[in-house]
Amino acid sequence: MKVSVVKNVLDANDRIAADNRELFDRNKVYVINLMSSPGAGKTSLVERTIMALRNKYKIGVIEGDIQDTYDADRIAKLNIPVVQINTGGACHIDGNMIREALPTFDLSKTDLLIVENVGNLVCPAEFKIGENVKIMLLSTPEGADKPAKYPLMFQESAALLINKIDLIPYVDFDLKKAKRDALSLHKDLKIFEVSCKTAAGLDAWTSWLTKRIDAFKK
Amino acid sequence: MHELYLAESILNIVQEYATLQHFSKVNSILLSFGRLSCIESKSLQFAFEVQAKNTSAENASLDFQILPAIIHCFSCEKDLEVETYSAICPKCGGEEVILTGGTEELQILEMDVD
Repeated sequence: MKVSVVKNVLDANDRIAADNRELFDRNKVYVINLMSSPGAGKTSLVERTIMALRNKYKIGVIEGDIQDTYDADRIAKLNIPVVQINTGGACHIDGNMIREALPTFDLSKTDLLIVENVGNLVCPAEFKIGENVKIMLLSTPEGADKPAKYPLMFQESAALLINKIDLIPYVDFDLKKAKRDALSLHKDLKIFEVSCKTAAGLDAWTSWLTKRIDAFKK
Repeated sequence: MHELYLAESILNIVQEYATLQHFSKVNSILLSFGRLSCIESKSLQFAFEVQAKNTSAENASLDFQILPAIIHCFSCEKDLEVETYSAICPKCGGEEVILTGGTEELQILEMDVD
């Protein structure tokens, strides 16, 4: 006997993500799901973003890592509420992990929640967590072939930050190709060229983000 | 790596349907996903076999409908199926292309059950 199903396999996760989203909407919390390879500079970007926006918004951070609390310790030093999720081997954060981390935050007093996903270019793109936007970071030493190799991640992201732009003289990174390939996957992708080390280009990123948060909170 | 989680999710959906529609044995499950969606069918099959032990889906086969990766080229105005993705049109070398298919997420389409 044939049984017709036609159901997304990740439907259960999508439902939890939708519940999270409802909770965020009720409390007017803007949520970023930040994704990249390991070592692309996610935590540095979170630190820079906090420093730029902390006087304007109340910020919370969720750090996802397979193990240890190294990243969360860095954020806690800035006196920002932070929860470390140790996925214990799982290669991504899912909706349920976020749901379990939320009681730590006073959502009614949070404007911006930054979720730093596990460093991985495959799985995090598939799992919704209830975010407003997915943001992707690609660092120049990784190479310009990443959009072609991991198309889903670039398709799903609203903005791409090309980080470590200061290293371009030393690494073979074809900026034109990276941008062209990324835009062919997602024509409305907003691209920023930044360096979290020198702070180059970060103003454009934070003002883009500010506009989005303000529009959401209106 | 995500195949473990996907296999578990497939089994949960199968159990849900088994309870609702009162079947006890699943013979096969038809799934679909886009060629570029980073799902490895052999890993998924293996993860599924391991987790399906002692359930109604033990020994069920997974069949895959893999959806093609399609690009549209704005220079030659053609839609082309590609094996691997590149932002250059394999036909005319045009650099203005867009991916229009191939990253569809994993879906269960139907099951064959007793």
